[in-house]
Amino acid sequence: MTPPADGTERSQAESLSFDWDLPHPPEKVWRALTDPALLAEWLLPVAGLELEPGAAFSFEAPAQPGWDGVVKCRVLEVEEPRRLRYAWVVGDMELDTVVAFTLTPVASGTRLSLVHSGFRPDQKRNLGGARYGWTMMGGRLAEVLAGIS
Amino acid sequence: MQAVVDEVFRALSDPTRRAIFEHLAREGEQSVRALTDRAGVSQPTVSKHLGVLKQARLVRDRPEGRQTYYRADRDGLAPLIDWMKHYAAFWAEHIDRLERLLEKME
Repeated sequence: MTPPADGTERSQAESLSFDWDLPHPPEKVWRALTDPALLAEWLLPVAGLELEPGAAFSFEAPAQPGWDGVVKCRVLEVEEPRRLRYAWVVGDMELDTVVAFTLTPVASGTRLSLVHSGFRPDQKRNLGGARYGWTMMGGRLAEVLAGIS
Repeated sequence: MQAVVDEVFRALSDPTRRAIFEHLAREGEQSVRALTDRAGVSQPTVSKHLGVLKQARLVRDRPEGRQTYYRADRDGLAPLIDWMKHYAAFWAEHIDRLERLLEKME
């Protein structure tokens, strides 16, 4: 995956990264990340998921004002049960990002790392991204933000 | 809040403007003349871009003699960072659900 070649330096405010320690083996966490029925339970309903690099699929949330609810994705990397990376694109004019999950076996189970990158505003993506961000979180934002301090 | 985010996105959506902002963030204060020499576009064009960045509160200016100097105001990125926090919250909430799901799974 090559970063956009526009010659400018990538800004600091461009990616989110997280780590969680989960008391479950990587194989089990991998299933939760890749089985459509399980994905629907914790993330979003998914359509057309095939674990083949280049394969397109989509997450489909209920439509909301200002957003049709669809996240268009494309598989970029699959290394069962260690690494899964896919493009996360919201609309043609909005958000073009990449989500990468890395599963590392640890004594207590699995360290799950998530990096969501590519939040740089770009040509054609000027206004929609912000609108989408607000729409997606809806009224629960304050509550959720309070929860993670 | 939404209007401010839109303004930051609009200001940074142009590659030339983004290059000017990132150059200022990296190199510190620069005169309009120095920025023009580097940007490869006319001074009125650079001034126009700086005006948009200033409007979005991404840069601050300081006149001195015949020159105007600009510097990046990193606080100006706060709306963008706030916007990304929506996604941080999104993932935090959904990984909570993942943890609950893993408890239920075989």
